[in-house]
Amino acid sequence: MKNFLSVLLTFLLAAVSAQERRIEFVEYDLSNGLHVILHKDNSTPIIAVSTMYHVGSKDEEVDKTGFAHFFEHVASRKSENIPVGGFTEYVSEAGGARNASTSFDRTYYYELLPSNQLELGLWLESERMFNMIVDSGVVETEREVVKEEKRARYDNQPYGTFIIEMLKRAFTEHHYMWPPIGSMEHINAATIEDFKAFKNKYYVPNNAVLSIAGDIEVEKTKELVEAYFGEFERGPAVVRDEIVEPKQKVEVVDTVFDNVQLPALFMAYHTPEIGAADYYAMNMVNLILANGASSRMNRKLVDETQLALAAGAQDLAAEDPGLSLVFAIATAGTDLEELKATMQGEIDRMKEELVPEKEFQKTKNQIENNFVGGNASIAGIAQSLANYYLIRGNTNLINTEINQYLSVTREDLQKVASKYFNDENRVVLYWLPKPQ
Amino acid sequence: MKNLIVLVLLFAVQPIFAQIDRSKKPAAAPAKEFKIGDYEKFTLKNGLTVIVVENHKVPRVAFSLIVDRDPVREGNKAGYVSLAGQIMRNGTATRSKAQLDEEVDFIGASLSTSATSIFGSSLTKHQDKLLDLFTDVLYNPAFSEEELDKLKKQTLSGLKANQDDPESIASNVEAKLLYGSDHPYGEILLEEQVESITIEDLKSYYNTYFKPNISYLAIVGDITPKEAKKIVKKRFGAWERGEVPEVSYAVPVAPEENVVALVNRSNSVQTVLDISYPIDLKPGTPNFIQARVMNQMLGGSSSGRLFKNIRGDKGYTYGAYSSISSDPLVGSFNAGASVRTEVTDSAVHEFLYEMKTISTEQVPDFELQLAKNVIIGGFGRALERPQTIASFAINTERYSLPEDYYSSYVKNIQGVSGEDVLAIAKKFIKPENAYIIAVGKASEIEAGLSKFGEVKYLDMYGEEVDPALLKIPDGLTADMVIARYIEAIGGAEALGKIENVQIQMTVETMGQKLEGIQIQAQGMKSKMEVSMGGMVVMSSTTDGTDAAVSQMGNKVPLQDAQKEEQIISSSLFSEFYLEESGADLKLEGVESIEGEDAYNVSVTLPQGGTYNMFFSVESDLKLKTSKVLDTPQGQMTQALTFTDYQEVAGVKFPHQQTQSVGPQQVKMGINSIKVNQDLPEDTFKVN
Repeated sequence: MKNFLSVLLTFLLAAVSAQERRIEFVEYDLSNGLHVILHKDNSTPIIAVSTMYHVGSKDEEVDKTGFAHFFEHVASRKSENIPVGGFTEYVSEAGGARNASTSFDRTYYYELLPSNQLELGLWLESERMFNMIVDSGVVETEREVVKEEKRARYDNQPYGTFIIEMLKRAFTEHHYMWPPIGSMEHINAATIEDFKAFKNKYYVPNNAVLSIAGDIEVEKTKELVEAYFGEFERGPAVVRDEIVEPKQKVEVVDTVFDNVQLPALFMAYHTPEIGAADYYAMNMVNLILANGASSRMNRKLVDETQLALAAGAQDLAAEDPGLSLVFAIATAGTDLEELKATMQGEIDRMKEELVPEKEFQKTKNQIENNFVGGNASIAGIAQSLANYYLIRGNTNLINTEINQYLSVTREDLQKVASKYFNDENRVVLYWLPKPQ
Repeated sequence: MKNLIVLVLLFAVQPIFAQIDRSKKPAAAPAKEFKIGDYEKFTLKNGLTVIVVENHKVPRVAFSLIVDRDPVREGNKAGYVSLAGQIMRNGTATRSKAQLDEEVDFIGASLSTSATSIFGSSLTKHQDKLLDLFTDVLYNPAFSEEELDKLKKQTLSGLKANQDDPESIASNVEAKLLYGSDHPYGEILLEEQVESITIEDLKSYYNTYFKPNISYLAIVGDITPKEAKKIVKKRFGAWERGEVPEVSYAVPVAPEENVVALVNRSNSVQTVLDISYPIDLKPGTPNFIQARVMNQMLGGSSSGRLFKNIRGDKGYTYGAYSSISSDPLVGSFNAGASVRTEVTDSAVHEFLYEMKTISTEQVPDFELQLAKNVIIGGFGRALERPQTIASFAINTERYSLPEDYYSSYVKNIQGVSGEDVLAIAKKFIKPENAYIIAVGKASEIEAGLSKFGEVKYLDMYGEEVDPALLKIPDGLTADMVIARYIEAIGGAEALGKIENVQIQMTVETMGQKLEGIQIQAQGMKSKMEVSMGGMVVMSSTTDGTDAAVSQMGNKVPLQDAQKEEQIISSSLFSEFYLEESGADLKLEGVESIEGEDAYNVSVTLPQGGTYNMFFSVESDLKLKTSKVLDTPQGQMTQALTFTDYQEVAGVKFPHQQTQSVGPQQVKMGINSIKVNQDLPEDTFKVN
């Protein structure tokens, strides 16, 4: 009997600990179409209040690049009831933190607050959604700030413009051909009218998600959400131009001269969109190539041959088909052709050989670890929930997406590597020091 | 009945709607108290202090070992301490680096080492394996020569990469200026020093400092204190204690007046600004709490004065912040931003203004309260991470803080008054005793920065250098400067169409007016005559191969080198001929010519004659030529400046020239320029 009890107890405990890894949430739509996701975790008295809008740089017009991001800056400054700078000031006064980001596909705003300031978060986000003010004062100040951001993060950084150079060669039609920061020229040209049109089209409740995580009571929060967001009307349905990037047929090779000391090599292969059939396998291929010190590229390029100071592979995973980037920064004195041949060797090996069982298991372990880590903070959870709903249409992927990875086979890896890692499917950029 | 229900429902919902007044910021609900998680602490017989923070939110556990030794001065082998820390992760007696990497990655863990720490974390289920690897790295590092060579190579490549990074440059320079190379905080990695590091240096460091009696081990996450105790005894109980040297250093002080430290990065589109100086501020002191609050207002976040002024109002930058750091040896103050090149001096002005204001005027109460809220809010958010609790525990031990330092932190922050803030700002904010470090395009920012203090030009390692050399853009050569000049005055094609030029001028010197005529023709032919009242007082003639000069009718004897110089320097568009004449051209640097930056190109002719030409950085036009003369009074510089460029026949000619020798000046105003005239055959006859 005692034994039975202890077995039962062990079983129950095991069940509880498995449960701990599951992220519980409730989600629903307001009548104006705003999707709401709530995750309760009362362990620390803090909350994350966030909104995500389904608009990013790919929704920009070709002569207005960088606009979604510029808009994000302007949208954080002023509303009918919030004076200039209030978004930042009120959050600071409350001891909170706020920020925002713009990607190819979406724009995200969040506040981290003490949990007794839930209403403040709701008020700020509802003011942004419905009562935002765009005037020339705000636009002109933020125009300079955005330009400084571009200079600081891209123009003034060694290799900083590689993504700009890569995208404009990799995409010929699709608006992923520029990064969210856009161009100085277009930032300079943006007008108040542009802002108003953009706001009316994209900043509507039916194009957004409100995601709240942390120390909340669900029922009370629902009431408050209704009070702050429910009184406003649904906007016109968002109609997007669906641009399909034509298949690349010939390898693109180019050289860029930059103010760097060490040459580098950047390669980008076209890959399927996030969530597509081949996506998970391709993502794992990237992990095998470049995640961790024992990854193939690190071992081969950095450790064994010491051809590279750093090497990596990264998915530019996006809502529409994106890129898989493979890159290396050469060590001093390395011949780039040798570096390229060695990188190519590792890429070819993915195509020619089945990944050994042990290495495959390692990759799965790394994925499991990443999933656990991503859910360690309420800020991370709020964003993941919003992202899974908005981009993937399935919030519960926060709990189940790992299964998609675990169902990938070694044969799948070889198959996708062979399918996508082809010369005619890639752009190669030689990044060279400017001649002295 | 149905109506009644609707009514009830309305009542149920109504109150919430009624509460909302959009025009006002919503009031906060009653605040909840931040509870600082508990931790357990115990000490092993070998002196290792262990701290355990239990938190089962995610199935992960982390082990951090901190070695608490005095800072080590590395002398002429800067970098060896850091390499000693790195090499521990690159192989043990039984595991190569590749094997270690493989085993760490296999369990999805992370394991890293530094000169004063080892950190490892993994999912709880892989904890045993993680500890195998962690302790292997701690007890049995291999110190292989091969790994040292690799680390050196990576370090050297990293150094090279950092040469492009303005932030790295600023931080090097800051270290050097604030602490000096005799202080452990002021040592900078240099290529030749890294080369000289040996495996013995690394072993000796490890054997001296990795001892349990000066170390802390923090265990955080999905583990019970009981289990932690068991593990620690088994895994760390046999680690042997040892004598560890204690060292003290002279305390660096702030400069007596502001010093502008300028590092040229000619391709910069922004200036990285860093205003900094050392301060004497120890961790955990009441002064630190006050300084923390004060700095919050000055530049601790986006609600600080620096951010609001320099980003919010002025839009000079993406972010402007300050920080004040405490340290048992010596702390520091920093304020900085990356700003647009053209507003560099305006930004420095604003930084200094805000520093001055906060140290002379008491801050308003609402602003003080805002700063406190920001600090307390950040403190509360950090509590979400169990790692925070561990670092609180370690700091309490390490710096001998009061037991209740962190539990009283919020109360102590709230207790800081406006008077405290002013007093602490007077003590630590020094707008007149700072190093103003600027990494950017020197030619455009130097003049503006000079008003803040003496400008010192430094290289990327903080060593003083000759400023003229620094401002040459990478890749620019003397030939390119001349090509740009030719382009700027009209281009080779337009110049080629000009067969000859006849210039009439009025020459003014010492109150007298003279007439001048200068004729130049292709083929390096020239003639110059200055006359007063119809009498020729000076003339010079060149015919392409020979030259003659006479003054007051007397022929001046010329040596071959002087003849060569006369022929070339007075020829039509002389810059065209420099290359074919075999002259050696060198870009010497950038100098200011009457307030305008100009490239200095030195010319050395085959026969040894030398002179310099100066071309505007901005307009590419030639601003001046100069030559050093040996005279009975010693060396004197003879200079000819060119201004008022105007176009004649598609080519720009200077319409005002001024010649000076020592204090004497001769002004030559151009009256007319005629091109392609029919000239008498003997115009350029050399007598």
